[in-house]
Amino acid sequence: MDQSKLTGGFIFDIQGFSVHDGPGCRTLIFLKGCPLRCLWCSNPEGIRPFPEPLYKESKCLFDLYCLKACPHEAITVIGDKDNRLLEFDKEKCSKCDTYDCVGVCLTGALAKGGSYIEIEDLYNRIKRDRQYWGENGGVTLTGGEPFAQPEFASALFKRCYEAMIHTAVETSGDIPWKNLEPSLPWLEWIFFDLKHMDGTSHKNLTSSSNSRILENAMQLGREFKGRLVFRLPLVPGMNDTDENILATAGFILSTGRHELNILPVHHLGREKYQLAGMVYKLPGFEMTTREKLVEVQNRFSDLGITCYLGSETPF
Amino acid sequence: MSNTGKNPADFKDCPAESINYYGNKPSQQVEDREKGRKPTPRANKARELYFSAKSSTSMEFPYWYTRRWEELDGEIPVIRRAESLKAGFEHLTPVIYPGELLSMGKASYLRSSYPMPWLSEAFFMASEDKLYQEALESGKLTADTFTTVGKGGGNVTKSAGKVISIAGKFGLRLEEMPVMLEVAKKWKDRSVDDIGHKYEQMVPGYKEKEAIMRSVICMFDSGYTLPQGREVMNYYYPLQYGIDGIIRICEEGINEVAGYPEMDRLYFYKAVIIMLRGIKSWIRNYAEEARFLASVEKEEQQKAEYLEMAGILDHISSDPPRNFHEALQMLWTFHVAVLNEDAISGLSPGRVGQVLFPFWKRDMDKGIIDRAKTIELLECMRIKFTEIDCFASMGVVGGVLSGNTFNNLALGGLTKDGISAANELEMLILETGISCETPQPTLSVLYDEKLPEEFLLKGIECTKAGAGYPAWVNNQVAMEFLLNNYGHEGMQLEEARAWAIGGCLESSPGSWMPLNLDGEIYWIPGGSAPATSVGVHFISLPKVLETVIFDGVDMRTGERIFPSHGYKLETYDELWQGFRDYFSRAVHVLTLTNNIQHDAWRKISPSLVNSMLKPDCLEKGRDLGQMGARFNTTFNIESCGNTTLVNSLASMKKNIYDDKNFSLEDYRKAILDNFGYHTAQETGSYSLVDQKPAEHFTEYRKIHRQSLDAPKFGNDDLYVDAIFKQWEDWFCEMTHNYRSLYDQPMYACQISVSTHGPMGAVTLASPDGRLSGTTFSDGSVSAYPGTDKHGPYALFNSATCWNHSQSQNSQLNMKIHPSVVRGREGSRKFLELIRSYMRKGGFHVQFNIVDSRMLKEAQADPDKFRSLLVRVAGFTQYWVELGKQIQDEVIARTEYEEL
Repeated sequence: MDQSKLTGGFIFDIQGFSVHDGPGCRTLIFLKGCPLRCLWCSNPEGIRPFPEPLYKESKCLFDLYCLKACPHEAITVIGDKDNRLLEFDKEKCSKCDTYDCVGVCLTGALAKGGSYIEIEDLYNRIKRDRQYWGENGGVTLTGGEPFAQPEFASALFKRCYEAMIHTAVETSGDIPWKNLEPSLPWLEWIFFDLKHMDGTSHKNLTSSSNSRILENAMQLGREFKGRLVFRLPLVPGMNDTDENILATAGFILSTGRHELNILPVHHLGREKYQLAGMVYKLPGFEMTTREKLVEVQNRFSDLGITCYLGSETPF
Repeated sequence: MSNTGKNPADFKDCPAESINYYGNKPSQQVEDREKGRKPTPRANKARELYFSAKSSTSMEFPYWYTRRWEELDGEIPVIRRAESLKAGFEHLTPVIYPGELLSMGKASYLRSSYPMPWLSEAFFMASEDKLYQEALESGKLTADTFTTVGKGGGNVTKSAGKVISIAGKFGLRLEEMPVMLEVAKKWKDRSVDDIGHKYEQMVPGYKEKEAIMRSVICMFDSGYTLPQGREVMNYYYPLQYGIDGIIRICEEGINEVAGYPEMDRLYFYKAVIIMLRGIKSWIRNYAEEARFLASVEKEEQQKAEYLEMAGILDHISSDPPRNFHEALQMLWTFHVAVLNEDAISGLSPGRVGQVLFPFWKRDMDKGIIDRAKTIELLECMRIKFTEIDCFASMGVVGGVLSGNTFNNLALGGLTKDGISAANELEMLILETGISCETPQPTLSVLYDEKLPEEFLLKGIECTKAGAGYPAWVNNQVAMEFLLNNYGHEGMQLEEARAWAIGGCLESSPGSWMPLNLDGEIYWIPGGSAPATSVGVHFISLPKVLETVIFDGVDMRTGERIFPSHGYKLETYDELWQGFRDYFSRAVHVLTLTNNIQHDAWRKISPSLVNSMLKPDCLEKGRDLGQMGARFNTTFNIESCGNTTLVNSLASMKKNIYDDKNFSLEDYRKAILDNFGYHTAQETGSYSLVDQKPAEHFTEYRKIHRQSLDAPKFGNDDLYVDAIFKQWEDWFCEMTHNYRSLYDQPMYACQISVSTHGPMGAVTLASPDGRLSGTTFSDGSVSAYPGTDKHGPYALFNSATCWNHSQSQNSQLNMKIHPSVVRGREGSRKFLELIRSYMRKGGFHVQFNIVDSRMLKEAQADPDKFRSLLVRVAGFTQYWVELGKQIQDEVIARTEYEEL
């Protein structure tokens, strides 16, 4: 399909009764595509911008119906006899709109990850959930990086905002300001990640520098009229040092805001890496203990930050 | 916004994975529930005692009952019945446990119950006994053969030493075995079962009924299995008049009717008096025992407690209660008394907190009770209700009830004049539900928009504690159902507000009674109908569809069940018509045969204790079987496996008729070959997740995959939801065409209880991709485990695609991971979730707040998890006392976890 002419966007899931992604009870829309490669990413199937085949090796019988059916010759068998694996040329897959491979797979090893949807269809789906949200709830766009599809995101926010639906976003912040700006009038709430204050460390964790992120954060602090809550995904030994805590707190205050939500990083996404044909690179570590979390929280509080732990938020 | 505005917009492509029946990915660490508080030391001691007790049965009551019955050959039946009950009550050995504040039980063991051979004598005979073999041949006991009873906890699953295991659950002392068999033989050809069976054969098409029972299209007859229960109790008369007062009412009744026409009333009044004298002796025997224990007790406080107990029992053996403690003892005594007159499950105490509030408030005002004492008493009440056991055949106990007795206590709702009925005592009942977790009494909140937030949040706190209660049921939806079904009997809005849940989830009519306390009138609610869930028991919808596909033959056994339907099934409409034809045939013959059974029941074993309690039996001078109650439209038709049926229809519609991927013949072959898989009995697990392919499964991979990928209910997918609505609209309406024994229209009841396990066990693979022998979907609007992929909102949208007030109930079971509802915000959002479902018109939702890995650990190591409670299908039960089929099903349910 000619992707330049699309008016909708690519999503990979819709989930109701999300309770930790903004105020109240919410419906969560997962948008595809992300510029970052965070080591702990828990939605690796959301990184690539377009739909892709998701491959569950454990269910694969290597009958190779998919290989025969693929019109783009995107599938190859790799590995030796005892350790076979299918490999997908995701470049080619991104141009496919038939997904014949999934259609002929009989074992459930292949599924289509993500699909294209028009704004109005998505809105009609969202509005069916309205009665469930209660007073404070609404819609949160997440992903992936929602602003990686800027027109789609702003159009959806506008559609919801005008229908009196509360709008929120979870963003990595690593997008050009011009991609973010069109959504701002229709946005009421932003979760904004600050993964590390040191540029080099940030790059080690996410494959990307933090300079654009920090610039965007400063500008949002000045211009965004809604509630801006920063988020720190806490990776033990990586960004939970006192140095980074001090720097993060100082930076947040310099934006003119004061709220931070700490999320202890977990390994929930690990099992999905293989699905998306990727390798999980985060070295093994223990989950941050409750005591340590509280310690970090207290440290932030002392520095003048309103700090929430995990899902223990007042909203 | 209505569901008709749906745009199905291809959401089937959205999930990251295709339907795989595995549910969401769990996190690494097992999450515990938010811990509740501990019971008082007194209750804790009693609960520990309960955990060590085994289900036991004794022959005292049935022996004396039968002996008296024999003596009175030729007496007027209702008098004979009353005398037999009296003899039974009088001879029950009283047993009082140290530390108890409430006393009395069904029989002389802590967890005791006894067989009632006057209902059915066949099922507890040893399996080599000829009687049993005969019963097996006539098809009645097939369900037992396919039911597993939980292997842990208090079940006596194997005979050991001097204890015989009966029906895999109850222990009987070896020396009582000859008595049991002797007593059972006395009832041969005279029990409700045998008499009913003799006459039900006169129904034209009776052979078809037997075939239906053998194929387990229907599970259980109604008239002799659990003829009472699934109803709300009414304690007004003993609370207001006391036993002597009721006897006086009956004596006045006799004076009015003796010698006048409609003489049945004379015998009824006389029978109630006889029966009550038996109950008086029974209570006084307990008082005597308490005094004896006091006389030998050294410890001062315990001695005083025994004496106080003797005083309370003596008083209530003749007079109405003077305070809250006495009122609670009175309520409990009559609850047990009813349980002792029939095989009963689902005898619900109803809105106890509102019934007892006037007594409690007065005591509080006078300062003779405080909150701490109230909590202790309410905790003792929880233990007492948990001690109730129900003696029935293994199929009924394991397959339907999972050992549960459904003493459902309702909270909230509205008062007679239509404002919130929640009160302070109910807050304490919720509190003790948290502090003293036990399966009984299970709790239900009658949700209404008028209920105060504080009360609702207390309910949330209780739900979060994880014992599986309270269930949340919709007050307005139930009232609408009741007004629709009982309007012709004179029910008006005000009276509709007196309802409560009877049994697991049966909306049951109630009435307001004027309790006069110190000259002030309090309108207290209570049940005013007989059992609301008798008639046609669980019909296996997927099994009916299976016979449609195979033109009337049960392919598991090769037996023809129905005559050929004559359709070629070339269109979806023909398939749907075929289903309706067979379903209607089954309902028709089962209605008639069960009416006959119930007629045998009301003639041989009429209810006396329960009749005396229910308005307006004393006023009319008629028992429940003679329509003495105010409301009598109480027969229902029950379904099982709704979602499995609908998913199967959707799969066939899509794959055969719309997309033409396969032919009907392809499906027949795949079903017979179980899609190339081993059967559940071979793999030993009843969950679809654990099934293993056989060698030739590649042949069926395509049809199985496409069946699994067909639209599934629970995802807000209009394709399948439309089929669901079509089924509901038709089913709820068609039930009204059948007439009960009391010549009233019947209604739809949609709860699976535990029948989706054993019924699944005898059903071949189904067109939705479910494999042979595996469990059906549970409840009635629950998704099939693991197939709802878009969270609770999508599930709610599907569940409310039809109007729930057309049916006595609907049932939605959900499993929620503890992390989702953690903390203060978690509580608020949890309430928001429930409230939104109620606002959409959902009738019922209940939750297991549990990490499924904890359940798996518990399956592997039952001893460590003796006190783990889970919610099954309308009830809470100890995990270790559930059968494996149901355990597997609960583990497989989709768990809503933090994203």
